[in-house]
Amino acid sequence: MADKIIEINNLDISFKTTAGLVHAIRGINVDLEKGETVAIVGESGSGKSVTMKAAMGILASNAVVNSGEILFHYTDDDGQPAMVDILQKDKRWIRNNINGRRISMVFQDPMTSLDPTMTIGKQIMEGMIWHYKTPKKEAWDKAVGLLKEVGIEDAQKRMKQYPHQLSGGMRQRVVIAIALACDPDLLICDEPTTALDVTIQAKILELIKKVQKERHIAVIYITHDLGVVATVADYVNVMYAGKIVEVGNVNEIYYDPKHPYTWGLLSAMPDLDTDDDRLYTIPGSPPNLLHEVKGDAFAARNKYAMKIDDEADPPMFQVSKTHWAATWLLDPRAPKVQMPKELSDRIERMKEAVRSAGKSID
Amino acid sequence: MPENQSTKEPILKVTDLKQYFKISDSYTVKAVDGVSFDIYPGETYGLVGESGSGKSTIGRAVIRLYDPTDGRIEFDGMDITGKMSRKNENTLRTRMQMIFQDPMASLNPRKTVGDIVAEGLDIHHTYKTHEERNQMVSEILKKVGLSPEHRSRYPHQFSGGQRQRVGIARALIMNPKLIIADECISALDVSIQAQVVNLMKDIQQETGTAYLFIAHDLSMVKYISDRIGVLHLGHLLETGTKDEIFDNPLHPYTRSLLSAIPSPNPIFEKGRISETYDYKTSGINYSEGTYHHISGQHYVKCTDEEFNKWNS
Repeated sequence: MADKIIEINNLDISFKTTAGLVHAIRGINVDLEKGETVAIVGESGSGKSVTMKAAMGILASNAVVNSGEILFHYTDDDGQPAMVDILQKDKRWIRNNINGRRISMVFQDPMTSLDPTMTIGKQIMEGMIWHYKTPKKEAWDKAVGLLKEVGIEDAQKRMKQYPHQLSGGMRQRVVIAIALACDPDLLICDEPTTALDVTIQAKILELIKKVQKERHIAVIYITHDLGVVATVADYVNVMYAGKIVEVGNVNEIYYDPKHPYTWGLLSAMPDLDTDDDRLYTIPGSPPNLLHEVKGDAFAARNKYAMKIDDEADPPMFQVSKTHWAATWLLDPRAPKVQMPKELSDRIERMKEAVRSAGKSID
Repeated sequence: MPENQSTKEPILKVTDLKQYFKISDSYTVKAVDGVSFDIYPGETYGLVGESGSGKSTIGRAVIRLYDPTDGRIEFDGMDITGKMSRKNENTLRTRMQMIFQDPMASLNPRKTVGDIVAEGLDIHHTYKTHEERNQMVSEILKKVGLSPEHRSRYPHQFSGGQRQRVGIARALIMNPKLIIADECISALDVSIQAQVVNLMKDIQQETGTAYLFIAHDLSMVKYISDRIGVLHLGHLLETGTKDEIFDNPLHPYTRSLLSAIPSPNPIFEKGRISETYDYKTSGINYSEGTYHHISGQHYVKCTDEEFNKWNS
């Protein structure tokens, strides 16, 4: 077994609200090895951000962890391999040992995640000085190096500037530089490019990929954009209503999806070759998790739903060594159902494009 | 694509539109700098560009939320630049409608959906009896996939997709000939986006309304539009049918924009590097360019020299 960096096992979280308990995360499992990239895909409210906030120990105060563990593997201060369950540690320990130091996070909107009253340089050096007591001179030099690494020219000058003096793409580069300042083992990117233009988005994704390769760190992407996922991810987890409904490597998810929700997500997004008259849509909207879900949470929106979907939640069925999906359609007793034609046509087209470019699908 | 386009009169004709914002005595932002395009009845014209390129400003100038600095906007054969006659203003305010980006911010939280949708009717007194008004509201709600019972509810009682349907109903009830959709799906989830886009297409087929579709999601723009205009820094750099733009992009900016679109094809995506385009170092001066005809309806804004270079 290669080096695991984080294992989320059977995580289950509720939120206390005035309207009652909202069961936001309903037993999820995520594994990640060093140097890998995993993407968590889902609509808003599916629980993807909450999962990662739990891993960072920054859950809102009304959150209740019902069960589960988040095991994080790291090298401790004496250079020994160590493992910790983040959910069992207090905020202070996490603050000192995990946040920004071993796991850091890149948020969606760089204008809100940067402090408008602090210079860029000070914000990059902050973490190093706080965590490692790096001397100021050394921290300054390292920060300049980081700015160059993330592709900012005139680094010396930028160090003394404030966030409002930079463009959106530049700001997100600064946020990435801050995240890398303490040499983390794991980088969590929560919708890192949603607030950016498409040209800048492409550049930021290329940057994160480059940094990941050079530093050999693990990256978790949280996003709803399947185009972004195809660009960056090794493995994909598709989340729906607080559960992971399909997991597999990126080729399995895009060329051989099994769950009707994944079918819907993939076909609802037009690609450049889509010329169908209508887009395939998933009817309705996600369930309200305030009410306990009976059976499969997706059943109400699923035109392939069977009687059993209303009664029992499907287990994860194994498709291949790395590919699992939670849908009763994969049960041997279920009728054989094909994915929607729009999608199978598109997958055929994509495979054709890959073949004609002389690459192979494995 | 509407047939016999050359014989049809455009519903909207924008000529050399300029929209400047004076910040101080010495500083003026030229948000839109000499943009011309036409929209024909029943078609969808997509405007794309990065933030700050002026696409929303164009939408707002066209519907006269702003006073254009210079240029001419003709809607349905009448001049709507400068001071309008009462009759023209009335026509503009009924026959051109707008759908906004964030439905929560654009719907009055203290009004019922029925009143929100009927506001245009109330202002323009287009009904005779109260029953007629309610009848019209119910019909339009049904058309956008809501039910008449939703009339008495408030915006917060709806989901994001339903709220955007209310926004569409509000625009539709005036029987518009042109709807300006300013990023109207970007705040919605992927699965909901598809529902709204399908609805917009259905409505267009049924009512023959034209759309000015402003967005930054290029795959969606390509899917919904008949023709596309590419904006950058207030200049319309390239315009043409969607196939002309996507199959044969000429301007380096268009090319960099298209190369940046992520596609859901992982094997392809892994090795792809997007083209870089920087206006400052590209040596291109947008203001010196004039429109050059390439083929069909495909035009690019550049100097003669650049045109020869790119088109070779």
